Amino acid sequence: MDLQKIIAKPKKVAKARKADDGLEVVGKSVQRVDGWEKIKGAAKYTDDLEFGPGLLYAALVESPHAHARIRTIDTSAAEKVRGVVKVVTGRNFTHKFGLYMNDRYIFAKDVVRFVGEQVAAVVATDAKTAQRAAALVKVQYEPLPAVLDAVKAFEKDSPLVHPDLKDYTHVPWFFPKPGTNIAHWRKIRKGDLAKGFKDADLVLEDTYYVPRYAHCAIEPHSAIGLFDASGRLTMWTSSQSPFTQRHVFAETLKAFGLGHKDVRVISTYIGGGFGGKAGVTMEIIAAGLAIAVPGRPVKLLWNRAQEFYNTYQRLGCTAKIKMGVSKAGKITALDFKLHWDAGAYVEYGANVVNAAGLSASGPYKVDNISVDSMCTYTNLPPCGAYRGFGYSEFLFGLESHITRMATELGIDPVEFRKRNAIKEGDTLPYGAHMNPNGIRDAIERVEKEIKWGVKEKSKDPKKAIGKAQVCFWKSPAMPPNASSSAFLKFNEDGSLNILVSGMEIGQGLLTVMAQIASEVLSVPVAKIRVETPDTDRNPYEWQTVGSHVTWGCGNAVKRAALEARERILDLVQRVHCLDKSTLYLVDEHVKCRTKPDFALRFSDFVINGIQADDHTFKGGPIMGSGVFMPEFASAIGDPETGQGGHPNVHYTTGSAGIVLEVDRETGKMKIKKVALAVDCGKAINPDLVKGQVVGGLLQGFATVLYEDMRYDEKGRLLNPNFSDYKIPTAMDMPEEVVPIIIEVPQPDGPYGARGVGEHTMIPCAPLIANAVADALGVRIKSMPVTKEKVALAVKAAGK
Amino acid sequence: MPITAEFEYVKPKDMDEALHVFSLYREKARALAGGTDLVVHLKEGLAKPEVVVDLKGLPELGGLALNGDVLRIGALVTFSDLIESPLVKAKFPLLLESALTVASTGVRNRATVAGNICSAVPSADSAPALAVYEAVVLVRGLKGERRVPVAAWFTGPKKTALAPDEIVTAVELKLPAKKHAGCYMKLSRYEGEDLAQGGIAVLAFADNTYRVAFCALGPKPARCPKTELVLNGNKLSEKLLEKAADAILQEVSPISDIRSSKEYRLHMTRVMLGRALQAAVARLFGKGPKYGTENIA
Repeated sequence: MDLQKIIAKPKKVAKARKADDGLEVVGKSVQRVDGWEKIKGAAKYTDDLEFGPGLLYAALVESPHAHARIRTIDTSAAEKVRGVVKVVTGRNFTHKFGLYMNDRYIFAKDVVRFVGEQVAAVVATDAKTAQRAAALVKVQYEPLPAVLDAVKAFEKDSPLVHPDLKDYTHVPWFFPKPGTNIAHWRKIRKGDLAKGFKDADLVLEDTYYVPRYAHCAIEPHSAIGLFDASGRLTMWTSSQSPFTQRHVFAETLKAFGLGHKDVRVISTYIGGGFGGKAGVTMEIIAAGLAIAVPGRPVKLLWNRAQEFYNTYQRLGCTAKIKMGVSKAGKITALDFKLHWDAGAYVEYGANVVNAAGLSASGPYKVDNISVDSMCTYTNLPPCGAYRGFGYSEFLFGLESHITRMATELGIDPVEFRKRNAIKEGDTLPYGAHMNPNGIRDAIERVEKEIKWGVKEKSKDPKKAIGKAQVCFWKSPAMPPNASSSAFLKFNEDGSLNILVSGMEIGQGLLTVMAQIASEVLSVPVAKIRVETPDTDRNPYEWQTVGSHVTWGCGNAVKRAALEARERILDLVQRVHCLDKSTLYLVDEHVKCRTKPDFALRFSDFVINGIQADDHTFKGGPIMGSGVFMPEFASAIGDPETGQGGHPNVHYTTGSAGIVLEVDRETGKMKIKKVALAVDCGKAINPDLVKGQVVGGLLQGFATVLYEDMRYDEKGRLLNPNFSDYKIPTAMDMPEEVVPIIIEVPQPDGPYGARGVGEHTMIPCAPLIANAVADALGVRIKSMPVTKEKVALAVKAAGK
Repeated sequence: MPITAEFEYVKPKDMDEALHVFSLYREKARALAGGTDLVVHLKEGLAKPEVVVDLKGLPELGGLALNGDVLRIGALVTFSDLIESPLVKAKFPLLLESALTVASTGVRNRATVAGNICSAVPSADSAPALAVYEAVVLVRGLKGERRVPVAAWFTGPKKTALAPDEIVTAVELKLPAKKHAGCYMKLSRYEGEDLAQGGIAVLAFADNTYRVAFCALGPKPARCPKTELVLNGNKLSEKLLEKAADAILQEVSPISDIRSSKEYRLHMTRVMLGRALQAAVARLFGKGPKYGTENIA
């Protein structure tokens, strides 16, 4: 296929007509601005970048022990290998780092805390030499008792993973307990729990288990560092968080004379993140190595196994739920204990624990609630952000439990959800109030789509069909002062360059930012260029996580565009003596409501100004800048009750339903249909929202049906590969996916938009578990809900 | 991820040279055809040969043809070659059905049938089909050629009857004279490429005789004579299937591993045997599912 021909002959598109809401570009599925580049294979990813023959390669020496003291490190044999430039160990770097809790070193200093932890690195002229020499580094360990079970880590006599926890610095909303393995304990106490249980007609208590998961982005992590003669550190990284990385690099390496102005992070397109490329993981190693060999770029590229055991994993979770429900179908009390396995370092992962703790009620009004979301350190790989940020984990138990209780009381589980669904203005578990939302609409649309209440029968007598419908919600988990900013510059031809540091991670951020600016300034999307960031040139963005960038970065871009618009209008008012309030922008022109023949083309003045009657020029380059910070947010509440702050900016809500066919004998499950309705406030690009729904569901169902991390009794990951850690293929798609967009505007969102990226995967686990129960009457309470578990449960039940 | 091990690479011009290399290096030489196992093992340090012998320059190892009633699958024939062959589809559809379950298209484009049985993992997808077609493995060394029946080929997990100074030249299958139909059932974790957690191949003949073989349900792929004894001479019935399932449970010895529990494998052995027999018999009468569809349990 000749792609050029296709470009040359674009499909004729009818000129977009204004929608009912008066919007021309926002709300339209415009083509992705990065589409052609990616389809043609021209898009550059970090590993594609060329650094010339001077590029050095690094290989790691990794711990074979889950917990051990490092006795000695002998690097002499490795140093003698021809082509080895330097061998680096923990002796070279003595500062701890972390995103929310400073509990890690660049290289393990005295103690290794998980199998695969970096102990040393060899820098050499080629990758093969580096790897061979790394095998020659001799490390003597004294094994220590390892903590491999999060629940056992909580016991009094458990060995301590971090005996010096009391000395660690962390954000004020974390509550570690020195002298134990407890890294964070988020408590929520609201209402009268005892009374709530007294008022209940049915109380059900049970435990649900969720294992660890891996992101499995197709592009592995990679980072190249260069510490040059001018004293600056440049890092090219595959990252969701260039500015956060810059901050962590600058803070961790300040002993080497680096300030924030000296650290520059350049991020290309990334081949999938899902939270795994948020914060800082292996990139800090490349930064340290660059410092160790000044003047030459050093590259660190993770292999697939390292991708599994030395980035972040999703936290494992044991959830104990005790819920009280009245005959009228109202939740009267919820006592929810979430026990998380955060791994060897919790610098990012403990915030997952925090986020889940704040929101564990799910999208329901629960007046009497107690939540204990607590994580313990273990000697397993560190955990951190993963699409859904703790919500998939607690929703598995909560939404399983709700369906069980409703069914036991003889109330339709969907009707039950409608009765309890949260409304705008309802008090949230931490005391703030719920934002506008369309959860009821979402429930009803999905209910209709999957023909809830209509029992279906499989044509195959060996198979049964079950249905399920659940609800979900999620808020961005971010510090209260997480900000976004944007620059916008006009060019001579009236085109625009927009500079942001929100990352394009496949979700279409660049396109959406172009659409927002286009809407304000009437410049077509095709004339707007938005690219991935360089922290020297692009303005600040906290991180591209938490499904918040369309909202946060979108607000910044909108403000930048509005500022540029003001400058244009001010200039025209000044030179042409037209009242600003009569001026408007349309089709790349400034026009005037009172002077129909007035039309000033952008390209005639946005750089070189407007010529006045006296032949002088007024104006100059038109630019705009925009900043957005959620100034109403606060993370500080009472540690014992969680009341008082406003930690979450807003919740996106929705509902999902499934029609599942299950083979009674083999347990094999086939998703005949899945419908997911999400209230994204405003779908700025509906096709991109639908893409999130399809992708999120596929990723979510994989975690329910077959993905699973397994460790041996020594803490070694048994399946750091795709032979035994299965991720979905095209063949694993549900037969039919119906995305439903609900639009109840978010008052502080750009054009009413709120986040949607993570939400599409979080309802999957209870959907499957509830549909299996509906089809065959067996209840699976531990993820993954594999066909093996289903078949054996059916067999055991004698069904 | 680079291959860090040092080894010599040779690409013999003729069979004689190849056999001399193997006779000289024996266990220290490894044959390279598709490389889908070998290269991975080299990267992971699991294989440490002194010499890698690339067989792709030997024309006598190629060729997929029917001579009389014998199908000869040259050692360089890939799974994709099998799948795309009209001959295989027409005469040996069970082989096609099992080939379709091997890994993914990309791997099948390189991986060879001979390589699959030389790797001899317990889960080799081609093995049960080759067993029920009563294939013969042709091997050659400097001393001459041997014909090893597939029943004697697998000697243990990742172990075969191949001597260190020999190479496989081809696999031969005799087209059964009697009217027959087959089915391969494979247990896997999802719809994408997977190593079998269990596989059962069945050939059913019009005279009510049957051949049954499995993979991944014991240390090596094998035929199931006791099960065949129960089945032979009988038409399929619920009762017969029960008896056959009881018999096959005497012949398999699955383990629990990361892919599946022993309990589920045993459960699925019964289920897969029953379904494979029913599908094969249905196909015998021109009914049943098309070959290559819905055969993943």
